[in-house]
Order: sequence, then C-alpha cells, then structure tokens
Amino acid sequence: MANAELKLAPATLVGKVGFELEWAINQFMTLEARILDEERYTDWLGLLTEDIRYQIPVPLTTYRRNRASTTALKPLFIIDDGFSGLKQRAAREATGLVWLNDPATRHLRMVNNIEVETTATPDEFLVRSKFLLKRGRREKDIVSHAGWREDILRQTAGGLRIAKRTVHLLERVVMDKNLNMFF
Amino acid sequence: MKKFDYQTLVDSQKALQQRSIFWDPAIYEEELKQIFNRCWLFLGHETQLPQPGDFIRTYMGEDDVIVVRGKDKVIRAFLNACTHRGNKVCQAEGGNTRSFTCSYHGWSYNTEGDLAGVPLEKEIYDNLDRASLGLVPVPRLESYKGLLFGCFSEDAPSLLDYLGDITWYIDVVTDSAKGGLEVVGTPYRTEIPGNWKLPVENAIGDGYHVAWAHAGAMSVLGAIGNGRSDNVLGISANNTGVDQAGAIEVVMNTHTVLTTLDGQSGYALYDHPDPVLEHIEKNRPQAIEKLGALRGKQLYGSETHIGVFPNLQIIQGLNFIRIIHPKGPGKFEVWTYGMCEREMPEETKGIIQNHVRQTFGPAGLLEGDDGDFVESITHSAAGYATRQMKGFLGMGMGRKVPWDGPGEASPGLVNEACQRGFYDQWRRAMEAADAHGIIGEATPVALREVRHG
Repeated sequence: MANAELKLAPATLVGKVGFELEWAINQFMTLEARILDEERYTDWLGLLTEDIRYQIPVPLTTYRRNRASTTALKPLFIIDDGFSGLKQRAAREATGLVWLNDPATRHLRMVNNIEVETTATPDEFLVRSKFLLKRGRREKDIVSHAGWREDILRQTAGGLRIAKRTVHLLERVVMDKNLNMFF
Repeated sequence: MKKFDYQTLVDSQKALQQRSIFWDPAIYEEELKQIFNRCWLFLGHETQLPQPGDFIRTYMGEDDVIVVRGKDKVIRAFLNACTHRGNKVCQAEGGNTRSFTCSYHGWSYNTEGDLAGVPLEKEIYDNLDRASLGLVPVPRLESYKGLLFGCFSEDAPSLLDYLGDITWYIDVVTDSAKGGLEVVGTPYRTEIPGNWKLPVENAIGDGYHVAWAHAGAMSVLGAIGNGRSDNVLGISANNTGVDQAGAIEVVMNTHTVLTTLDGQSGYALYDHPDPVLEHIEKNRPQAIEKLGALRGKQLYGSETHIGVFPNLQIIQGLNFIRIIHPKGPGKFEVWTYGMCEREMPEETKGIIQNHVRQTFGPAGLLEGDDGDFVESITHSAAGYATRQMKGFLGMGMGRKVPWDGPGEASPGLVNEACQRGFYDQWRRAMEAADAHGIIGEATPVALREVRHG
C-alpha cells in the first residue's frame, strides 16, 4: 500500500466532482446506452452537442519504439464525424432500406468503470468508461465489441450533453462485417 | 492432370458458376497453388517505404510477407518466417527497423534478409552456414509506376506482360497529375466470413446491386442525399430506372475495367464534390497532354473500377485501392487504402479521405451492406443440394459497343461482363499448366500505343 499514486487518485477524483454529479453522469451514460439499444437514434442525437467530434481511431500494430508517427504509417480513423456525419449515419438506419436490419437487429450495451474528472472548462467533464457491445441478428449472428471511451460531457441548460467522444477498440482487424453502430 | 472439371464449374457459354467454388476446401487449396502462388500480387506502394529500414507486412495468398527497403535502398520481400523453426520474425504491421528478430530463440535478420545474429552461435554450432539461412525471398518483385507487385513463380511472365492492356487504364490513376499517385500508407482491414471471389467480382463489375443492396446509404449520401439529383451514376434512388448511356464494362484477356466515361461522375457520391471537381478540371489539360484526349477527357474523373486479377481493385472516384486476402475458403480480409493525387491541395485530399472512410471504411455507409450478402452467398453453399446449384451471370451477354481503348466493351454499368470476365479468367488460371498460361494474349506494348494513343 506504499504506492503514492494509489492513494492519490481516488481522492482527487471524488473531491473535485462530487458524488451527486458523478451519479448523474453515471445515470446519463446508462440511459444513453439504453436509447441506442432501443434504436432511438433521433433521441440519441439530442444527447449530443452541435459541435461534437466523434472519433474511432484504428489501433495500429507497431513496435513500441515506432509509436507516435515516427514512420510512414499514418494515423487512420474508422469514424471521424461531426454532428452532420452522425446524423447521416442515423438517417441511413432510419430509412427502413437497410435489409440486414430486418428481421430486427438486437443490441445490448454495457457501460461501466466510469470515472469523472474536471477539466479546465468549468462546465465540461472528462468521462472515461469501458463498454461491451453485443449485436445479435437472425439465428446466431452475434458479434461482440469491447473497448473504452474518453468523452467530454458538457453541462448545458438542457442537461448533460456529449461534446466529444473517442472510442478505442481492441482489434486492429475489424472482426465484424460492419461497424454500422454507435459506441 | 486437372483435379476438377473447370468447364463445368464455370460454364462460359451459359454464364453459369457452380456454387461449390465458394465452399469446397479442395478447390480453395488449388486456388492457393494455381492462382496465388503463380500470379503477380499487389504488395503496396513505394511511397509507403520512403526510408531505408521502412517496412510493411502484407499477405500473398495466405503467406505472411515482409516488404522492406534495405540499407542499400532496394525494396525486397521475404516470407515472414524464421529459417530455424518458422516462427514469424515480425509481428508489427509496419514501421522502421534495423533488424527482424525472432521471438523464439533470438535469431536476427537484417533489412536485406541476411541472417545477422544467432545467440550463442560459437558455443552451440560448428560452422553454421549463415549464408544459406537468410529469410526466404519472394523471388520476383517489380514496380509498375510505384505500385509494387510480388510473384512466387520464378518462370512467370514479367509484371508488364502480366498486366498487359490494363496498364492503359492504370496510367489514368498514376499519370494524369504531375506528382503522380499518393496512397494513404495505412489500410483499413476487416475480416469477413465469406469466399474471397465474391467481394472481388462485386467491386469490379456489379453495378446492378448498387441501388438495391445499398438503398439505405444511397438515399442519404451524395447527390441524392443533398437533393442535387434523383440518381447516381444513372441509377435512380428508388431503383426504378437506369440510364446506361456512355458507361461501359471492358473485358481484357486477364483483367477488367468498368467506367462511366463522362469525366466527372466519380464524385457523384460525394457530399461535397465541388473542390474535387474543380481540381479535376484544373488538371484536365495536363491529363489530356499526357494521356491523349480519350483518356484525358473521358476516363480521368470518371468512376472507374480497375480489376487486376486475382485480388486487386484500383477504384478511381471512390478513390481507394482494395486488396482481398483469402483466409480459407469461407473467410477473407479486406484491405482498403485511400488514394489521391500527390499534388492535390491538403483540403481536397481531406475530402477524399473522408469520403473513403464514410463509404467503404469498416463503418462505411455502403461497406456495411456488402459483407452481409457475401457471407450469406458463401454459407448457403454449405448445403449439399444448394451447392449443386449454379449462379447465373448472363446480363448483357452478346451486347457489344464500339470502343477505341484496349479490350472488348459491353454497354452500361448494369451489366455482368466484368464478372463473367473474372470467372473466365479464374478458370484459365486454375487450368493453366504453367504460369504463362494464366494470362491471355495481350496487345503487344508497342502496338498498344499506336492503336490507342
């Protein structure tokens, strides 16, 4: 127990944000997951700020000594969207013309390990979370994606909103026919 | 002796393909030997390896391959397997290194492939013949205007002969702009549970599925999505009509091309096409000067799908290079590299890269539809009776259109000429007694320039 970091970390986090806000954020993340599971994409867009940036970087498989763009390998994003891009993705889902979603796709999102930190901006909070997303289709077409997220949540007049999200996946090679879902 | 009756598996006269070619493990084993071990396979682009020590990893068939620029600046390719016990000597997808060291016993190879270090060598070996224990090289490696290809067959024709008439079309991508082609040196990679041939022929020739399979994406994307037009590439948003005017599918002896020939519709699916179209028009005089009027006016800027047998697609407009790596009869990996002109303004390059991500990246609005039916087609062939069925690719058969470029042209994007060409070529490669038999007769290079300008 002599590890100074271990003693320090919980104290700073709890002290700066407060139990009530942490709980509110926790409930917000749970609600957001259910809204997506229920395919309520218009409601989900309502949880985002208009200036949101939503990114899923590709986790490149490089030697540790080659990290941080030291070679010709360039960073790559699976999604790098603002609000209009996310709206377009949601609109595609809502067309009723995406054949693989009929019979209906089943979604399940679990979000946990939520940590909240203050930022330099008083109304914005850095929220880290881990997720497991499972998607079931037809008889047994089931895929799983696990990863972690770094979000900026903003306290607005209408309540908490997501102002930035970065989704980190574990697999370099996407082991799924598509990632047409929101993490 | 041929192991299978290929004339029955692919019947050119009736345009039928027996479904077992997507399922049978024995046919797949033959493909690895007859096709992937004898054809020229795309490895990457020279711009991915600017410095000595730069390397990338890729696959030739199912063989794991390292492509590396040595200290002498020469690019070589090696099997990614230690000559001691076969463990992979490189686990990174790319980067820069001075050596490749095996994680099992520590044997180490330099960037020229030589065995450079063996732990405890003096104590445990007597006169170890290091010279014979270098990494196994891919025997043939050649570049076509920066596009790197490797070939396992010592007696295969040269890369230029293998590519044949398709170079006339590839040049539109490599030569239209002064600075040439730039490839985003990191591919998207997705593993899909289907047979490798299906995504290949889908990308090189299936214009029919676009309005139906991608109906959801088509109604929110590009010209239809932003209300500028009620069709993309002549195909109406609700799949009620098609304008085949102008576009052609071209079958050459080994490879295929599908193109719209209008010089601008490559950008019809872009949400914000104007900066790209302005750039294309600005560069058009240069393209015409370099490549002549036919290519400069009609091919440059068009949606053009170049299919290089067996598994490479160079797609202008959507602007990506795609490789389909087989991973067993029922699995493949899709690699998608964004591409643009090196001298395009950064903003224009950004628009193109966004478009590649938005359409055919792993979360792409169109990509998501294709993987599904490719899986479903493959898996229905699990049934013995279903496997005896034959697929039918008879659309546009017998329809010809005059065309001044190389190859035989058939009219319209909604046509199955390129797909028929692919399966005919597959059969030729599977039946070929030697690597030369894989390619058909191409127009000799000298004649090609005269005929097609």
